[in-house]
Amino acid sequence: MNRKTGLLFVAILLIGGLATLQYFRRSYEYSSDQFLMDTLVSIKAYGKDPSTVKRAVAAAYAEMHRIAELADGFPQPGTATYRSSDVCRINEQAGKKPVRVDADIMAMLLLAKKYNQMSDGAFDVTIGPVMDLWGFGDKNPHVPSQEQIRSALTLVNSNDLMIDEQQHTVFLRRAGMKLDLGALAKGYATEKAIQALKKNGIRKALLDAGGSIRVLGVNLRNAPWRIGIKDPRKADAIVAVLPLQDASAVTSGDYYRYFEAGGKRYHHILDPRTGYPATSNMSVTVVTQDAGLADILSTVFFILSPDKALEMARKMAGVELFMITADGHIRHTPPLLSGIEVKAGESYLYDQGR
Amino acid sequence: MTRADKILLAGLLLISLLSVAVLYGRFSIFPAKAEPVQAVITAQGKLVRKIYLTEGVNSSLVIQGRVGPATVEVDGTRIRMMGAPCTGQVCVKEGWIGRPGQTIVCMPGEILIRIEGAAPVDAVTR
Repeated sequence: MNRKTGLLFVAILLIGGLATLQYFRRSYEYSSDQFLMDTLVSIKAYGKDPSTVKRAVAAAYAEMHRIAELADGFPQPGTATYRSSDVCRINEQAGKKPVRVDADIMAMLLLAKKYNQMSDGAFDVTIGPVMDLWGFGDKNPHVPSQEQIRSALTLVNSNDLMIDEQQHTVFLRRAGMKLDLGALAKGYATEKAIQALKKNGIRKALLDAGGSIRVLGVNLRNAPWRIGIKDPRKADAIVAVLPLQDASAVTSGDYYRYFEAGGKRYHHILDPRTGYPATSNMSVTVVTQDAGLADILSTVFFILSPDKALEMARKMAGVELFMITADGHIRHTPPLLSGIEVKAGESYLYDQGR
Repeated sequence: MTRADKILLAGLLLISLLSVAVLYGRFSIFPAKAEPVQAVITAQGKLVRKIYLTEGVNSSLVIQGRVGPATVEVDGTRIRMMGAPCTGQVCVKEGWIGRPGQTIVCMPGEILIRIEGAAPVDAVTR
């Protein structure tokens, strides 16, 4: 071997060695849990440098806390949290005067109005008065009388939610109207948190906000994250596994927050057109990149009839839908077929063609 | 450079490229290690206990939550919240858990029980 070959030999060994070393310098994992927005929020983030990863996760939680405060509808009047909630101030001034709000509340309400129109009123953030009647957040939720529901429903109408983008103000036109951002605040905050992670240099992360999932990149095995979809009737089981990469999966189900009265189950996802819990589906999962959109659409599709929901989902680019209908059928948009593993078993009917 | 040198070089180059492909690629030559299943209990963000869930080993312990003491029961490979001072009793109704990835959350007490170990999925949407 001459000198030149020897050098080349050394160079190749060096490159191979460095590549191996780089691989074994394992990426640092930091995971953290916080009780936030009435649920448990877990963030797992990966990176090379521990202090960078920790700083990124702290920034993500800070974003979520900020949105939570702005959107919180239920603090005690007179407290600091009450004053810092834009939603409380808007509700307080209903029928009186427009309220100047934060840009994020503005963005959420614009989205809410858009999907209210797109769904012909199946999604409505002015559902507050009816929500209060049922009292799902209270100690003793109960079925209201038909008369109570009828009169509360007259206060539910997103056309009376006035948004002035120039003045940055929001106004509920009639006294007694009330916003409830429960159907979108968590998803919106999740997306904000993910953007904060990205801004701080994180390329690989999983955020689980009480079962609403948003991932960055791929998992530690360098494959798409494997996300199970909960079985709506069996506590311990999943009905399908979805591959997820740089996207979110959000589920609305009739089993999450509910009470039973007279042998009937009443859950917390109300149909704004009737004032009663929606009955078309047991569980609806939406997969799309933006967690805020996924949160809104999971509620929209849960309330709509399965046929209408599938039709609407098919028309939207980058939106996929998996549902278990009230009569036990598993249905989903065609693109999901490519990666999904359905473990329906004997519990549900699954016709792949539909 | 002789012919043998060239072959040797080409071979080395191939090996190093292949190993990089294997190490970074979608397939791993290292099988995942079987992790022991354990329950991790935290209260108000602080780690309280880690308990290996082992067949035949039973215990119960009291956790100080934000709204008072809660009782946790371990029955071999499963764990549950036996009693909690909250009004909702959501955590108690949750029943037994024991599979990696499962959690029991007590919101008022800010108590979290999480099963850790090699899970078949990374997370569950619900």
